[in-house]
Amino acid sequence: MFPTMADVVRVVAADDPLRALFSPAGELTAEGRSRLGLDAAALRELYRNMVLIRRADQEALNLQRQGELGLWGQYLGQEAIHVGAMTALRTTDWVFPSYREFGMAMIRGVDPADMLTMFRGLSHGPWDPRKYHFAPLAIPVATQVPHAVGFALGCRLKHSDEVVLSTFGDGATSEGDWHEAMNFAGVFKAPVVFLCQNNGWAISVPLSKQTAGSIADRASGYGFPGIRIDGNDVLGVYAAVMAAADRARQGEGPYLIEAVTYRMGAHTSSDDPTRYRTESELEAWNAKDPIARYRAWLEQQGIIDERTVAAIADAAESAAQAMRARLTAMPAPPPGEAIFGRVYSNPPESFLREREEFESSLEGS
Amino acid sequence: MADQTFRLPDLGEGLTEAQLVAWRVEEGGRVDVNTPLCEVETAKAVVVIPSPWAGTIHKLHARPGESVAVGEPLVTITPVEATQAEATPGTLVGYGPGAPESGIRRKARSAPAATESSSDVRAAPFVRQLAKDMGVDLAQLTGSGPGGRITRADVEAAASSPAATAPAATDGERRISVVGIRKAIARQMLRSVSTIPQFTEFAVFDATNLMAAREEGKASGRSMTPLPYFIAAVVKAVRAFPLMNSSWDESRDEIIVKQPVNVGIAVNTSQGLLVPVLRDAEQLQLTAIAEKSAQLIEGARAGTLPPNQMSGGTITVTNVGASGPVETGTPIINPPECCVVAFGAIKPRPMVVQGEVVARSGAWISISVDHRIVDGALATEFLTALVTELESISA
Repeated sequence: MFPTMADVVRVVAADDPLRALFSPAGELTAEGRSRLGLDAAALRELYRNMVLIRRADQEALNLQRQGELGLWGQYLGQEAIHVGAMTALRTTDWVFPSYREFGMAMIRGVDPADMLTMFRGLSHGPWDPRKYHFAPLAIPVATQVPHAVGFALGCRLKHSDEVVLSTFGDGATSEGDWHEAMNFAGVFKAPVVFLCQNNGWAISVPLSKQTAGSIADRASGYGFPGIRIDGNDVLGVYAAVMAAADRARQGEGPYLIEAVTYRMGAHTSSDDPTRYRTESELEAWNAKDPIARYRAWLEQQGIIDERTVAAIADAAESAAQAMRARLTAMPAPPPGEAIFGRVYSNPPESFLREREEFESSLEGS
Repeated sequence: MADQTFRLPDLGEGLTEAQLVAWRVEEGGRVDVNTPLCEVETAKAVVVIPSPWAGTIHKLHARPGESVAVGEPLVTITPVEATQAEATPGTLVGYGPGAPESGIRRKARSAPAATESSSDVRAAPFVRQLAKDMGVDLAQLTGSGPGGRITRADVEAAASSPAATAPAATDGERRISVVGIRKAIARQMLRSVSTIPQFTEFAVFDATNLMAAREEGKASGRSMTPLPYFIAAVVKAVRAFPLMNSSWDESRDEIIVKQPVNVGIAVNTSQGLLVPVLRDAEQLQLTAIAEKSAQLIEGARAGTLPPNQMSGGTITVTNVGASGPVETGTPIINPPECCVVAFGAIKPRPMVVQGEVVARSGAWISISVDHRIVDGALATEFLTALVTELESISA
């Protein structure tokens, strides 16, 4: 009458184009690598983008320590996921990020100084989501996941070929919103790729306290495939997101990618990870650094040399300095505009009076 | 180009202060943008602060171990010409670089005690904050806004009339802002008396042998204060009674007995009472104790000790003064320790020796102990052992 769980797992596995690309341990196979279709310039670009977003991340932390930003959440160590996923998508595909996806937005073309205004108290939403097909950063955990699914269903109803990337962390997978979204996506075959950046820690909660099972395996419970891959391999992430997005584009429904990585920095600038995790854990992951590792492979393949590496580092340095200069020169918007400006398209009279009263009360300050 | 002063920003969403751990630069040194300046420890984390400007360090405004309030000067830098444009303060978050007057109001730390005594007050949240910052009691004001609402102008007018500011210093009262070491002492002492049920015992010991040993040392060129003898005796007594070197673990109702004997030495400094810690004292000979404790005391007075040399004690020694009329006192335990030992001044006093009253050198000792860990009988045994140690000192 009803299919058993074993039936579901079998059917789902048969419908999984990613299995052929990855080893059971989640490593991109030689076969998978041969099907990437990236030329030397594209391979160098992946490296360049990882270096650029890492340097911007470091500069943002510096700015926070100098009192120029209220808060910063580093993505140090997770650059392969940011760059691999964004490179695999079309620029028309939508992204619904959590709060650590600054690097993804940079690659989509959002000006990094504009983005930082959000952490400087100058703006609530620094970019136009419709222009960049990049939704606002979601600070509450997992709220963006149902948004992504709903938007993906909308894309299907419009018969557009856009697919949606929903990114979240391991902590989000414990939220009710996440489960509701996964279920809905499975039932309605929404064109969405769920990308879990499993970085091992939800603030101070380790993965072992987050889930007793496997995040990737949960997908079959919702009737679609999932895979756990090495999240520090930019080519693996690229291949996985590309295949899952193509599958979604063809109307085959959602896919869950669990990209295993590590949050090398603190949860945010307000956090001290030395209080809850060990130096040896950090060292072990440092040895798997996505940028160093990819650079070694590129050198071995003869795709990059020292001069290019140095030129990319210089470019990243200049970009970081330009970001700092542009950000610190930005004027503050009038406070009335920040609070009242985007509430009503046709503000009622009482609301305008309130704004006037507020603004006159600030005069002379 | 004028000097730029970098004020301590709020490093972690709502912090009010940070303790300076160490400088990584010195006055006169050159820095670039993002050169690490110092490490500070907040209630949340130890963080490195990178320089916001390129230039020469003109002045460091705090010493290691000191607390710096958010918004207070941390370092003054003479910028290189090239950074002139960059150093122009923009919109600032958390009192970062530049002048705090440039748009964001500094928190008024001098008058924090103004209260809203009435919940009937009608005022917008920012007006309430303003009143709090300016030390104005909203309940005393009549609002000029719609429906009697108190406006910004009302608060400012009230603040400029001296009668309304609170808390007013009246009739010879003076208010002293408490920050840094004073605040740390206050917290630590409150924690002691509010969490540790402690009692005190007193004894007098005969210091004849101790003074003779000192004289002998002096004759052979080793001048020594009584302190090293006190510390050595305390360490020996502690080894006989390890419970005196322990902590009560409130979260588990367990006693943690410490292996190393790390002796905190209470030092009166111009900044207040500091307690540098002599680590692993059980492994040190008397001369090493003398040398190291002298260094610690000197460092504490000069303000050059890093915080890690002023923490981690397992027992503390203090004194009530080497001269003057005061004989003893009731010391307060330095949490989370179990015991504090206070020594009085050694001076000639009448003692009964073999039935005769004679003048001999002696001093008071008092110990305060954590009664959760140690009962009176054990405290008495410990104090007796300590007296025996001190009286049997040989040169």
